[in-house]
Amino acid sequence: MNTASLAQSKNKASMGTSFRKNLPGWLLMLPSIVLFLFFVWEPLLESVRLSLYQSEGMRLVQFVGLQNYVDVFHDPDFPPAMRNTVYYTLWSLVIGFCVPMILAVLINETRGGRSLFKIGIYLPNIVPGMAMVLMWGFIFKPGNAGILNVLLSYIGIGPQPWLTNPAWTIPLIVIILTWQGAGATALLYIAGLQGIDPELYDAAIMDGAGIWKRVRYITLPNLFNLARTLLILQIISVFQILYQPLVMTNGGPNNASISIMQLVWKYAFEKYDYPKAGAVSVLISLILVVLTVAYFKLSKEKDL
Amino acid sequence: MRKAVFVLCMTLALVAMASAEKVTVRLGIWPEDTLTGDIAMHQGFVKDLNATYPDVTIVPAYYKYATDTFVSLAESGQLPTIFESWFTEPQKLIAGKFVKDVTAEVKALGWDKKMNKAVLELMSKDGKIYGVPRDAYALGLMLNVDLFKQAGLVDKNGLPLYPKTWNELAKTAKIIKDKTGAAGLCLLAKDNAGGWHFTNIAWDFGAKFEVQKNDKWVAQLNSPEAIAAMQYVKDLKWKYDVLTADPTNEDWGTGFRELGTGAAAMYIAAQDAVNQPTQVNGLDVKSLSLVPVPAGPKGQYSLMGGTPYMFANNATSAQVTASLHYLEIMGRAPMVNDKTIAGLKADAQNRQAQGVPVLPTFPAWTDPAFLKAQQDAVDAYRNVDMRLYNDYYVKVAQKDNLRTEEPYCAQDLYAELTKVLQAVVTDKNANIKALLDSAQKNFQPILDKTVNK
Repeated sequence: MNTASLAQSKNKASMGTSFRKNLPGWLLMLPSIVLFLFFVWEPLLESVRLSLYQSEGMRLVQFVGLQNYVDVFHDPDFPPAMRNTVYYTLWSLVIGFCVPMILAVLINETRGGRSLFKIGIYLPNIVPGMAMVLMWGFIFKPGNAGILNVLLSYIGIGPQPWLTNPAWTIPLIVIILTWQGAGATALLYIAGLQGIDPELYDAAIMDGAGIWKRVRYITLPNLFNLARTLLILQIISVFQILYQPLVMTNGGPNNASISIMQLVWKYAFEKYDYPKAGAVSVLISLILVVLTVAYFKLSKEKDL
Repeated sequence: MRKAVFVLCMTLALVAMASAEKVTVRLGIWPEDTLTGDIAMHQGFVKDLNATYPDVTIVPAYYKYATDTFVSLAESGQLPTIFESWFTEPQKLIAGKFVKDVTAEVKALGWDKKMNKAVLELMSKDGKIYGVPRDAYALGLMLNVDLFKQAGLVDKNGLPLYPKTWNELAKTAKIIKDKTGAAGLCLLAKDNAGGWHFTNIAWDFGAKFEVQKNDKWVAQLNSPEAIAAMQYVKDLKWKYDVLTADPTNEDWGTGFRELGTGAAAMYIAAQDAVNQPTQVNGLDVKSLSLVPVPAGPKGQYSLMGGTPYMFANNATSAQVTASLHYLEIMGRAPMVNDKTIAGLKADAQNRQAQGVPVLPTFPAWTDPAFLKAQQDAVDAYRNVDMRLYNDYYVKVAQKDNLRTEEPYCAQDLYAELTKVLQAVVTDKNANIKALLDSAQKNFQPILDKTVNK
């Protein structure tokens, strides 16, 4: 027996022991692994496979290679859907990314009634999604009967088109998203803020640092990792925006708000063309994987 | 009630187990739980059916067709034996092989010869039949008579002075808007239903969206006629301002709500949906009128189609035949006997009780004896002033008034037209020619790929 094979068999033995040692751990993880396999990984791989076939309903009929992807690229709704999804994401960063941070700092600085504010900003989050979009539908309704237009009429401003103005549709939907989601994110930031050692602030104050310097040199660096994770999560979730435009504008007017997920929805539930729905889903996940990896690579050296 | 249905199901299931040859039909066209009157009517139908066909077991399996549930049910083999779908769906369901070819069963009963040809075509592919019609429809113009009265638009008999042409419609709508504040017309622009209605308007302006040239199907979305029709719609919004506040949020259902609740005076709709403004949205049965679609500069057409009953693709021939017998009892088949007459009467009586106009249906079947029986049932339970409906029935009976949908990829056509509608009703400066050019550019490849292969 040479050294290499000796090392190998030792290795095997130690792996065996370590597996036995870790058995309770594996057992604990087993239900999650099974669930993941069944509900996440298997469907994921299945939709990749689906996207390479032609089908009748969900029955695969013929392998067609990348034809579904080619067809999807030639769909006249694909370019606007892709473009809009990028706009949703960018607008959500412009409008929505800083809001929770600001809310968190404000609440953190508040002396009394902090819980009241925390609950207040979190409440929109527990409104069921469908109720929320219907409510905002009434608020943004164009014509004389819309809630905002009624309010505007009191100060002498005529009715505005709101969501039916193609230039406003996406920013307005992002405002709704922010209203709904900022509270929950703010709570995470508050937790982050409260994890910062107060002695750092005391020391900074003694050194004569003002509020801006304290934010710049203590608060922001300490929140950096959290903010980065939340940024990625926000991009991933906004990239998959579906029901808000679907219900409020049905992707209109003239595709001004159609999102890439709505294209998936259209293929699957309007045309029963599941392979193309699968193809678009695969594209979405590829884009998100690339974005995430690129971002983490770029910001690696800044890790604290 | 639910308990009663449950007991009924269990009894039927037990009976089914007792005899192996028995045929069990899962009836997707059973009424939903809350419609107790309708359920009682169907329980009567089951009794009648079993008197003649004791081997058939009916299992209530209420199913309301919906695009997000259909495929899962079909793929898992759980579709009811017979179910009702939408008039838009047959070709899609046939292409996906979700539904059974029932040619043999329908022919055995001789129904294929008694079916309206246009309707038969809608439910067939390559000479095979995949469904039978619940009824057919032809679009007309529904009016809220109360609003016409408020606007003073009634003749000396109190009948609404409805618009005969699209130009008159714009003016009538303006008067109504000025005098009552309600919208003159509810135009749809949220989903494909917008394009569907628009094709009917555009036909009257002389548009033909699909024509065959040298064996190729060519789209004509940007023809001068289509542009004129789109300009008309744009004028309704920007010149006359007679539409509801947000057409891009109006779909088939909200249109009936606007009409039924008095928020709009006119709406393009068909006779098979008269329960929508009345029973569903509370309009008094006497305040509804249905008149012909107005004429345009190049003609007057009514878009016609049919609502299909279709069959699960795993249904056996015996199950399909039993389902067809059930339709017979319901009075939905071209057969005339005591049972069908009773079925037709029960239906008319039920409509009368629910405050739904009892009207002649639009004939999906052509059998004269059946049509007469249907007419008799309707006459016996009449609850509306037929003067509010006669012109519609006269018009749709005229030669060349009826047209079926454009032959290929109608839903894709509607999707493209709807996008243009959305643009013209939301942008005062929309360039109609450019928008329709781009719709044309989007739609022709779909035709090429699907039809001109």
